[in-house]
Amino acid sequence: MLCDKCGQNEATVKFVQIENNKKTELHLCRDCAQGYTSFSPGFDLQQLLSSLFQSLSLGQKTAPAVAAKKCPTCGRTLGDIQQTGRLGCSSCYEVFREELSPVLRRLHGSGSHTGKVPARAFPRVHATRQMEELRKRLDECVRLEKYEEAARLRDELRLLEKELAGGEAR
Amino acid sequence: MRELASWMKERGPEGDIVLGTRCRLARNLRGIPFPEAANREQLREVLSQAAGVTPKLSPAGSFTFREMATMDALERELLVEEHLISPSHMQSPAHKAVILNDRHNISIMVNEEDHFRIQVLKPGLQLEEAWQRATRVDDLLEEHLDFAFDLKTGYLTSCPTNVGTALRASVMFHLPALRRVRKVQEVLGAVSKFGLTVRGLYGEGSDVYGNVYQLSNQITLGQSEEETIEHLARFTSQILHSERQAREYLLEKERRLTTEDWLYRSYGVLQNARILSSQEAMELLSDLKLGIDLGIIPHGDPELVKQLMVQIRAAHLQSIMGQPLPAQERDRLRASLVRDTLEKHMTKTQESR
Repeated sequence: MLCDKCGQNEATVKFVQIENNKKTELHLCRDCAQGYTSFSPGFDLQQLLSSLFQSLSLGQKTAPAVAAKKCPTCGRTLGDIQQTGRLGCSSCYEVFREELSPVLRRLHGSGSHTGKVPARAFPRVHATRQMEELRKRLDECVRLEKYEEAARLRDELRLLEKELAGGEAR
Repeated sequence: MRELASWMKERGPEGDIVLGTRCRLARNLRGIPFPEAANREQLREVLSQAAGVTPKLSPAGSFTFREMATMDALERELLVEEHLISPSHMQSPAHKAVILNDRHNISIMVNEEDHFRIQVLKPGLQLEEAWQRATRVDDLLEEHLDFAFDLKTGYLTSCPTNVGTALRASVMFHLPALRRVRKVQEVLGAVSKFGLTVRGLYGEGSDVYGNVYQLSNQITLGQSEEETIEHLARFTSQILHSERQAREYLLEKERRLTTEDWLYRSYGVLQNARILSSQEAMELLSDLKLGIDLGIIPHGDPELVKQLMVQIRAAHLQSIMGQPLPAQERDRLRASLVRDTLEKHMTKTQESR
């Protein structure tokens, strides 16, 4: 059979699309199929996650007692999480920290958060991180000889330092 | 006619290749199980907190809280086609809601996979701007809500692939020339090695058509939001460069005629076809946009083509026609909408010159 798209090469790929309950089938050659396939063929996130959990957090000897470990807040067991690849609530991260950490490392390559910190809940950490960021930008400005902006950043930094010192009681 | 979401009408930076930019932040309330594990009362509690916080968002625009169950199926589908909510948010609307601004470029899905999913959409390539808006909305929410956060693991999410910054930044590319020269795989295939991922137009599991590809970050833990944005921006400029090179190649003397012939043929079909499936229409509109962007097809507005790419989708078509349509009718009306729009628009631009 010839390719439905170019009509020149032999069709080797069957492309099925279901839209609004209507199924369309296309027979495509390898070249034309390139444009149609999504880049993660047969990629199932849930399956991948649950296999990650199973291989990393428990190893071969999945004792029933370990799989039954339960989160007191939402009632999810480690077994549930392994199966679904999803956590039940924020406490799960605390309860299953040990089992989770190799999974997180494998998924992200690192286990520690370095991004945004909520300002109201963690005012001091938030301010410290903000200052680190400002210092980095200040150094960069000095390096690039952008002195005007550097001066502005320095003022901002001083203001934050003062605020942080003032809020020492918190 | 219903107004299209602003980010789909306007032209943005690098608009010849980048259709739009999106930043999404996932947030959950402390002490309430994630939506998938929550019971009805807990889901209602999230909804009530979401409704209560909506007026506090006013410094970022005028927002409206709406429960999904109060919308009809068509309205929900329109929001999916404009990328304002996810397909799963539409399919099972019980105990779900969306907080939308009036310009339809900021949406907050409530009780999707996480309690809150803040999304900012911008036309063209505007990664930094989209992130700044999103973090601003997040700040406003955080003033009134207790988010699940841990200094070591960051923002806690239902799926461990989102934990940390919980930021997913995406760039939506139109890459017809790379596809034409069969280099899409080569250019995009390597991204997974760099912690990025490529998907079709409508996100996870959706197919690529109309040569529209979405590039987003995969990693959310161990890098800051700024680093994520920078990394994605670096890759984006690489892809822009490759697509521009492919476009130049198509315009070189020895193949310019073939390129013109191909693009004018697609234009001809759009102007004359009586039946158009949405897939065929997308492929042809992609060609037309390229033709206009390359300056081959004169008097064209590429933004109009971008709008048509959404208006030919099933829900938009039915909304324009004011009634539900069986699939066959849709193909006929889709062809007529495209014909009319092109005819009206092309003559108008010619007269004004």
